[in-house]
Amino acid sequence: MSETDALEARLEALTDEDLARGLALFRGKLGEAEAAYLQTCVRCGLCADACHYYRSDHELASIPAHKLAQVAAVFRAHFTTGGRLAPGLGGARRFDRDMVRAWVEALFGRCSLCGRCSLNCTTGIHISEVLKAARGTLTEMGLIPADLLQVVTTSLETGNNMGISREDWLETVQWIEEEMQQDIGDPAARIPVDKQGARVLFTVNPREPKFFPLCLQASATVLNAAGEDWTVASEGWDLTNYGLFSASPAHGGAIAANLMASMERLGCGTLVIGECGHGFAAARWEAAEWLRQRPGFRIVSFLELMEEYFQQGRLRVDPAQVAERATLHDPCNTVRHGGIVEPQRAILRRCLADFVEMTPNRAENFCCGGGGGQLSMSRYRQKRLQSGGVKAEQIRRTGARLVVAPCHNCIDQLMELNREYKLGVVIKTVAEVVADALVRAPAQPREESHVPVAR
Amino acid sequence: MPTIEFAGRTLEVNEEGFLLHPEEWDDGLAEHLARVEEGLDQLTEEHWSVIRFIRSHYEEKQGAPMVRAVCKATGLPLKRVYELFPSGPAKGACKLAGLPKPDGCV
Repeated sequence: MSETDALEARLEALTDEDLARGLALFRGKLGEAEAAYLQTCVRCGLCADACHYYRSDHELASIPAHKLAQVAAVFRAHFTTGGRLAPGLGGARRFDRDMVRAWVEALFGRCSLCGRCSLNCTTGIHISEVLKAARGTLTEMGLIPADLLQVVTTSLETGNNMGISREDWLETVQWIEEEMQQDIGDPAARIPVDKQGARVLFTVNPREPKFFPLCLQASATVLNAAGEDWTVASEGWDLTNYGLFSASPAHGGAIAANLMASMERLGCGTLVIGECGHGFAAARWEAAEWLRQRPGFRIVSFLELMEEYFQQGRLRVDPAQVAERATLHDPCNTVRHGGIVEPQRAILRRCLADFVEMTPNRAENFCCGGGGGQLSMSRYRQKRLQSGGVKAEQIRRTGARLVVAPCHNCIDQLMELNREYKLGVVIKTVAEVVADALVRAPAQPREESHVPVAR
Repeated sequence: MPTIEFAGRTLEVNEEGFLLHPEEWDDGLAEHLARVEEGLDQLTEEHWSVIRFIRSHYEEKQGAPMVRAVCKATGLPLKRVYELFPSGPAKGACKLAGLPKPDGCV
């Protein structure tokens, strides 16, 4: 049975008890703010043009207010006096099988949780948060697309979302260390593993060791050039957290605990989240909520750390080394949700000879279409590529040949958009650009902290 | 469920073009997928060395190999792998080798 059919079968099998349980789960996710949001929409329609789904398909079902209304209708029918007395009035609709099906389609199929609608809502409704609460309800009812759930399950079972063994991870780290040493001609450059008490623990997206280790190599090159006292972890090295997309705090907390445990085990002072939007938002902003515990260390994006190096004069770059016209993509979870807006720009202005912004940019930038777990849900691929047309057009208008994207999820979507829309661009992380622009100082004797640790 | 037509056969694929039944794969299908999915008119010996390794790894261990293992087994430099398969090792090489879609950010 295909994954799509399997979800449909689970929908068909829903009992009244399942629905009642789902309603209770949903109610449990609504605080006062969410309950107020569900009764605040004035249907002004301004969110329509804020959404990359609506802008690319012009379907009523893609308007954020319409998606919100699906959720609000259930709230109204079951949790307001008016809705209980006169369910036919005021857009109230009971939580039955058809309604649940409509939720699945709206919340998984037509939303990347990018939050651009929230930013542009005239009455200040945090639309994506409400949609996330409803998505989490579906997840806990077992109505999440299986391929999205599988990424969560793999993380929970193996400690990383691609099921990479410890042996494979360590072998790749060692290989990339050797590649880096050859590439920069510095046999003393290192990727330390499990270095106790290192100032910085650097974490990566499993996609790097598995399929794209040149990204890891670029980050390691920058960390070595800056003379950082850093390490990666042999266990608990994966920065991703698909609990953000399943919208289940139980998933999110269990996965976030891996990074927290690594920090504790190694006694590092700063947790650095590599270039991954959702991983940053999850670790920096959500983990403390999920775990009900404030971490006792600093959590920063690698973008912030690299910008610190520049401000401290620890990196020398020559923008002439990256001469082609380049633009920057703002990942929703790094920028709009994550609040990391200017460091990447300050870095790129130093490293690029011809840097142009997309329009709109920063917090107003459009989602690439790959966020919210969309890349994992094969059933929505056509919709994902269609919704990415907005981003493709933004890129095309810049005339850039290089697109810099500090997020692996975005990079994967941008690679597909590049083919689908024939953009003819190259896509890189910020660290890859910095590594390309680096001017290597003549070899100097290294301080004690850079001596390789035994492994 | 989407399908592809090839050599008189109808094969089920997921919405991203990964085979639903990896056992239906053969060399001819790899060449077909190379043309329609990767825009590669011809598969060279280098392509085949990557595809054959990924395929045998899959048949033995039921998953996609690390790119490290690909380079080690084929002797190809890392950068060459990306030149050979424009969509990368996952959406390019693994798909041509008839693997199901790997988990994670791919």
